[in-house]
Amino acid sequence: MKQPRALTAVTLVAFVLGILLVMQLRAQDSVGGMEQLSAADLTVLIANLNDRNNLLRAEVADLEADLRAIEASGASGQGNVGRLQADLTRLRLWAGLDAIEGRGVVVAIVGPITADAVNDLLDELRLAGAEAIAVAGVRVVPGATVAGTPAALSIEGVDLGRAFEVHAIGSPQALQAILDRSGGIVSRIAVGQPDVSLEVVPSETALRLPATERDLTPDGATPRL
Amino acid sequence: MGQPVVSAVTGRLRRVPGWQWTFAVALLALGFLIAVQLGAEGPRVRYSSSERPPLLETARELDAAQAALQERILSLRDQIAAAEVASAGNDQAVTDLNEGLAAARLAAGLVEIEGPGIVVRIDDSGLPVPPGEAAADYLVSASDLRDLVVELWQAGAEAMSVNGERVVETTALTDIGSSILVNSAYLQPPYDLSVIGPEGLYDRLTTSPGFIDLVRTRVQDYGLELGFLPSDAVVVPAFAGAVSLTQGRPEATPVPAASGAPAAPGQPAP
Repeated sequence: MKQPRALTAVTLVAFVLGILLVMQLRAQDSVGGMEQLSAADLTVLIANLNDRNNLLRAEVADLEADLRAIEASGASGQGNVGRLQADLTRLRLWAGLDAIEGRGVVVAIVGPITADAVNDLLDELRLAGAEAIAVAGVRVVPGATVAGTPAALSIEGVDLGRAFEVHAIGSPQALQAILDRSGGIVSRIAVGQPDVSLEVVPSETALRLPATERDLTPDGATPRL
Repeated sequence: MGQPVVSAVTGRLRRVPGWQWTFAVALLALGFLIAVQLGAEGPRVRYSSSERPPLLETARELDAAQAALQERILSLRDQIAAAEVASAGNDQAVTDLNEGLAAARLAAGLVEIEGPGIVVRIDDSGLPVPPGEAAADYLVSASDLRDLVVELWQAGAEAMSVNGERVVETTALTDIGSSILVNSAYLQPPYDLSVIGPEGLYDRLTTSPGFIDLVRTRVQDYGLELGFLPSDAVVVPAFAGAVSLTQGRPEATPVPAASGAPAAPGQPAP
């Protein structure tokens, strides 16, 4: 092979090499991106993002109204007392700092359920929009998790025993629908843990959930202003 | 006997022109890159259909809108907190309420905080998926993240976020295809859990049976990547979501909290 032909061949290979290298780097960048989702997954994602954005828009509207009210009340601050009190009440209820009541569902569990299954159940309740949850009368807040072996589960030092109830405040229909759906947590537990019975019942009357006893203020952390 | 053969081969190799060596190396690199390119199609599958482009565009728009709304919420909360302090004046009742609100916001996770702790990173497996095995097993799932979050709480974590999403009372983790939603925010791997907690958090986490089981079944068996970075200044961002109640309200008569007593289900209100 003559020298110029060799040079052409090497140039061609180097060119293809360069293209492949760029493709590879781009592929690495986009791994895990939305491009990877199927049409069905994208539809679910859109529904989730849509729901959340609606909630966020409502929150923005509330906050803007709050800000306007503060600015309108001027320097005295007296006009804000009612609004501040309402905000404080709502926030303490939401965070689990105060006892709360409202409609929802009762999940009755009997049998040697695993801690993972109970924590999955709590996650499904949150996904369905639960506003407050209690396990055997213990309010579930960040840090309060179910632990232990199936025969000896506990939460926040409270033994759960063989039979206990999970109470969740939220739309009873939405909560029951997500738990009882095909492939949902109830059917998964029925398949994976046949010795466990799990029944979801919408509450006839308002459920009352206690405040947490856990100190939710981080000890070693400082607010970043 | 072997000496003449070796000499013949060496002599022949010496006669190969330099450009042929260059060509051979380039072809080798080409083959390697083609193999890598094909391998990259492994766990995460690309989909193509005519209905996807508009869905993809909508999802991207909603995701961008969500980021903007979150930013607006955080900005408004900051403005409100500042305006409340400024408007309190000499009114003791207002001052007390403002102090109560500041404490409640901190406890509820609505304030960005900084403190000692660890950053835990978990990422999809880099291993090729063997034929016949489920590609999803080689990806981080919501269940993996949930297990890690639970183990971190049990090890004493005081505050936590996943890729910037604060874990609060209402936080749910759920799978969407090969990605995960946290607080309904769309997250992609790698997942960084920023955790603030007391000294010994790392030791308690890594010696817990649940965590050891997670490492054995997901990291060792499927090659998920797990790493830790201890730090004296871990930043956990504020929750940028809605703090709303539609069913919940203050109870009419206070109920005492459970205090180590045997399991007692919540009681129906009168």
